[in-house]
Amino acid sequence: MENPNEHIDFLESGPLAPLKKWSAKWSLWPCHFITSCCGVELAHAFACGYDGERLGTLNLGISRQSNFIIVEGTITRKMARALQFVYGQMPDPKYVNVIGACGERGGIFWNSYNITHPSDIVPVDFFVPGCPVTPESLLRGVRALQDKIMGVDKKTIEFKKVELPFEEKLEERMVPTSPKIYAPTPEIKVDVKRVVDWDFGKELEHTLRKELKGLFESVTITGKDRIAIRTTPENLIEVARKLKGQMNFDHVKSVNVIQVPHERKFIVEYVTSSYGIEELMTVLVTIYTEIGIKNPKIPSLTSVWESANYSERELHEFFGVWFEGNDWMGRKFVLAPDTPDLPLRKEYKIPEERYVFEKDVEPEFMVPIEPPKDLYTPIWEEFVETAPASDEIVVPIGPHHPGSGHLRVTFRIKGDRIVDALPEPGFVHRSMEKLAENKLYIQNVPLFERLAINDPASMNLAYVRTLENALDVEVPERAKYLRTILSELSRIEAFYYDAGIFSLFFGHTTGFMYCMAIREMIIEPLVHISGSRSGPSFIVPGGLRRDISDDVLGMIDNITFAIHKRAKKFESIFVNNPVTIARAKGVGVLTKEDAIRCGMVGPFLRASGVNYDIRKVAPYDAYDKVDFEVTTGDDGDCLGRFLGRLEEIRESVKIVKQGVDAVRDIKGPILSEDILGEYKEASSDIKGSFFRVFGNLVLPKGEWTTITEAARGTTLFTINSDGESNVPYRVRVISPSWMNLKGFMEAAKGERYADFWAVYGSFGYFPPEADR
Amino acid sequence: MIDISGLIGTIMNNPVNIPLLYVIYEFLLKIPVLGGIVAFLLDFSILGMPVVRYIIGFVLWKPFFTLIIIPGFATLGTMLLVLPWLERKLVARMQWRVGPREIEPHTRGSIQLLADTLRFLCQEVIIHKDAHKHYFLQFPFLYFIPVLLPLLFINAGAVGHPLVPIETPYALQIMIGLISLMPVFIIGVAWASNNRFSFIGAVREAFMYFAYEIPFIISVLAMIVLYGTSNTAEVVSGVNQSTWLHWGIILNPFAALTFFIATAMATARLPFDIPEADQEVAFGPFVEYTGIVFGLAYIMAYEKAYVLAAIMTMLFFGGGSGPVIPYLGELSYGIWFVVKTLIILLVLVNLRGVYPRYRIDQALSIGWGAMLTLALFALVWSVVIGVII
Repeated sequence: MENPNEHIDFLESGPLAPLKKWSAKWSLWPCHFITSCCGVELAHAFACGYDGERLGTLNLGISRQSNFIIVEGTITRKMARALQFVYGQMPDPKYVNVIGACGERGGIFWNSYNITHPSDIVPVDFFVPGCPVTPESLLRGVRALQDKIMGVDKKTIEFKKVELPFEEKLEERMVPTSPKIYAPTPEIKVDVKRVVDWDFGKELEHTLRKELKGLFESVTITGKDRIAIRTTPENLIEVARKLKGQMNFDHVKSVNVIQVPHERKFIVEYVTSSYGIEELMTVLVTIYTEIGIKNPKIPSLTSVWESANYSERELHEFFGVWFEGNDWMGRKFVLAPDTPDLPLRKEYKIPEERYVFEKDVEPEFMVPIEPPKDLYTPIWEEFVETAPASDEIVVPIGPHHPGSGHLRVTFRIKGDRIVDALPEPGFVHRSMEKLAENKLYIQNVPLFERLAINDPASMNLAYVRTLENALDVEVPERAKYLRTILSELSRIEAFYYDAGIFSLFFGHTTGFMYCMAIREMIIEPLVHISGSRSGPSFIVPGGLRRDISDDVLGMIDNITFAIHKRAKKFESIFVNNPVTIARAKGVGVLTKEDAIRCGMVGPFLRASGVNYDIRKVAPYDAYDKVDFEVTTGDDGDCLGRFLGRLEEIRESVKIVKQGVDAVRDIKGPILSEDILGEYKEASSDIKGSFFRVFGNLVLPKGEWTTITEAARGTTLFTINSDGESNVPYRVRVISPSWMNLKGFMEAAKGERYADFWAVYGSFGYFPPEADR
Repeated sequence: MIDISGLIGTIMNNPVNIPLLYVIYEFLLKIPVLGGIVAFLLDFSILGMPVVRYIIGFVLWKPFFTLIIIPGFATLGTMLLVLPWLERKLVARMQWRVGPREIEPHTRGSIQLLADTLRFLCQEVIIHKDAHKHYFLQFPFLYFIPVLLPLLFINAGAVGHPLVPIETPYALQIMIGLISLMPVFIIGVAWASNNRFSFIGAVREAFMYFAYEIPFIISVLAMIVLYGTSNTAEVVSGVNQSTWLHWGIILNPFAALTFFIATAMATARLPFDIPEADQEVAFGPFVEYTGIVFGLAYIMAYEKAYVLAAIMTMLFFGGGSGPVIPYLGELSYGIWFVVKTLIILLVLVNLRGVYPRYRIDQALSIGWGAMLTLALFALVWSVVIGVII
């Protein structure tokens, strides 16, 4: 950039300069350009409670009408193009604030292959640190910008190197080793046989062997509710058909590829389960096969399980595995055109992560990243070319659009009807799976929490449970209840966020504000517990970081009553509003069959009439001890999905109340002895022993898959460990929004153009969660 | 030759009667130094003509006063500066917020709109290369014609004291004709923008236009039938709306309701914010507009709302009728008129805090179904009531 001030120099010239500056100061309209997960805090900053409009900053309009961009966190390579476009479209004078740690130097994603630095792309006025930033600091950034416009020079903080007085002592302490794969040729085994007390499993294994006679190479029980079937690439599709047809395994929960370079092979695995048969609901059957690393081709199972479609597309980009039969092979789906090819292969190395910087190592803070040069993000050409012939109009929505998050959807519209919708995720793809391979197991806790910062505890719990399952750790009773409470609070939070976005998509800002006000109240105890609004990272393997005092428990209890009152108001103004009902009823219907076919999860599956909730089916933590009902609906329309989640909020409040009552009487440790080992004094507060307890966690050899019910549905974590390294060999995350994307698009097809937003809002699609 | 003295006579003999001005004048004369200056100014004359007297007389000349001060441009300008601020404050209140404040905390951020307008004024105006350059710039300004011309026929007076710039028996018809022209300009704006969203917005605007226009016209027609006149000066005077029991909303509430919904549709307020739905089509026709041109478009909806609310005040709320405020004379009617209009406008803009947005087909079915039925019923009702009275 030659002159970073060229876009604001105009303000300084002429006799009217003071007037121009004054008006620009008080009329900073940020355009609706949500780039990453800090958008949640942006919503809070402009909702009641913080009310950014006080400062004259009105969140209205798109780039053309506004003069201010708030870049919320990570700018991925795909989003960098959008950012450049949006900045170019804006009229001078224009300003940019970057919020979030990852907008500065990458933050927690500093060594990701898919991020860029906003400061390379646009001239930035202010950086606001924080992960995620708090609304206060966001607004303080706005104030700082206002001062800057008026000519008040405010220097940002200058960092100074401070000599620590207790440096001598530091050396005595055992510093955990940096994350590293130890074995040069680790042994990666997907089906490590384990002896478990599971009678139904033995029966099932027997049935599987009978049904799949001659098609499999081995059937192994790898844990409770986990069965792995090894087969050959030729037989894969036949096995899948049999499983679906005879055994009623009707959906795919995850598709995974593991590269083993020293054995020159890929392991391709499909994790399937059933929504149809109650006994099979908890069972995850993994079909896997091995293919050579050269010219890796494998038949796609999209024809059998449509829910595998998007995951196959994604893995094709990550690993270069060619799924024959999937129509998207050879194209980009999640990644940008200039992202490094095949980034998840082990040959592609990202800068090394360190746990603690050693004395003589010069830290590499900022990875130099080339900003993208060309601005073109292609839409699937056939999709566009054939449109005029059939009298259709192509309308792309997002990522910069008042009614879209970080997702681009391209429509073909005939009249007012959506004929076809082409999703384009990946605008917030921060490459968590690759990053996780370079971090210690414990370092991945905050990383995976960033999947959905409006649903932090659920994501946190989902990952931690996987570690606990692998390490066979039994969580103490008190911690179980506390974790349940946290997880349910987080669920309420996420649902209110979605409800707010749903009302905003209908143009109903009041409903949005009310929801944000309620969220604000739930965030309050989270702040009291961990000090962070939406990234507490409070749940650690074996329990919690520290105990929660009775005061905070009382506060949580009070807040459940306070929510009730506000929720009534929200219901009367938005939920019972005749216009809302007219807009949402009967729109975007997803039948039970469609929902299962698309592999929907969570409340959106239940709204279509499938009674599947992991909290009931395979209870974890304290869910088997609390009394709650699973909400199901039959309509499968937008209103059903929306009301279903409101109903779940009520159930969650019930759980929280029961949990608070129960936990008052349970005294005891909150960290399991299994994991503490010799550091028993840390059983009520991990402070001081964190490094020693968690620094060198190593998972036993094998594959560990856990499903957890996050707010928006099933979150699946698969961790492969070689049994000796302190980093995972491969982590596969399937987040609920990613699984819901397919059904979301199906539901939008055939509806009216304006109904897309009803459908969008009703699915609570959260792009950072989906893109990972 | 123009008969100047005759013209001046016409002007000077038709002032707005405001007793307060005489009180102030007499009070000023009593102040030692200032009184002298005032007396001198009033007697100051060039070529035997007391210029200052003539200027004051011209300003107070009824047609001029009504066009420029009440209910004309000055009122409109004040409304445009105050109304969006009031809207933002009131909606913020409904949403448990405070709205714009920090710019001028003592007056609750009342000059927020000034800052916004200045900012728009000082911003770059971008004409993108796909736009039809001339139409793109001309249409927003041409849009002023149908929006401002109805001001000529608005009557802010009450019984026996019309405050109207131009009195004509066809006033209501002309106003409706001009209002019906507005969507044409919006569609022109959208067409010149050459953008997908503005195209969709234009189509929506056209559909909405047909849906609300017919019930709107019929509801006005019902009132014309009821009053037996379409002269705005006569609509609010005589027996028509002398007491509040004779207000249009009491005599024919159905027409009032139709008119109000049509107003919400015509000004694209929620729940009928369909052509400009920002979550769906990103301001539709105005998606490509920047700087002051967008500012004009943004403010134009409020101007349209003002005109429609003024018509509503005249037809259904007795125009400027109300308790006479002593010393203000005819101005008191104007003040009542402005107050009533402002209340209607506030109700209109605050729909934003209460309702989500309808879908286009639902709005069309409301327009062609419920509203048309209601309007026709209102017409029949007017005939019946007219016969009874």
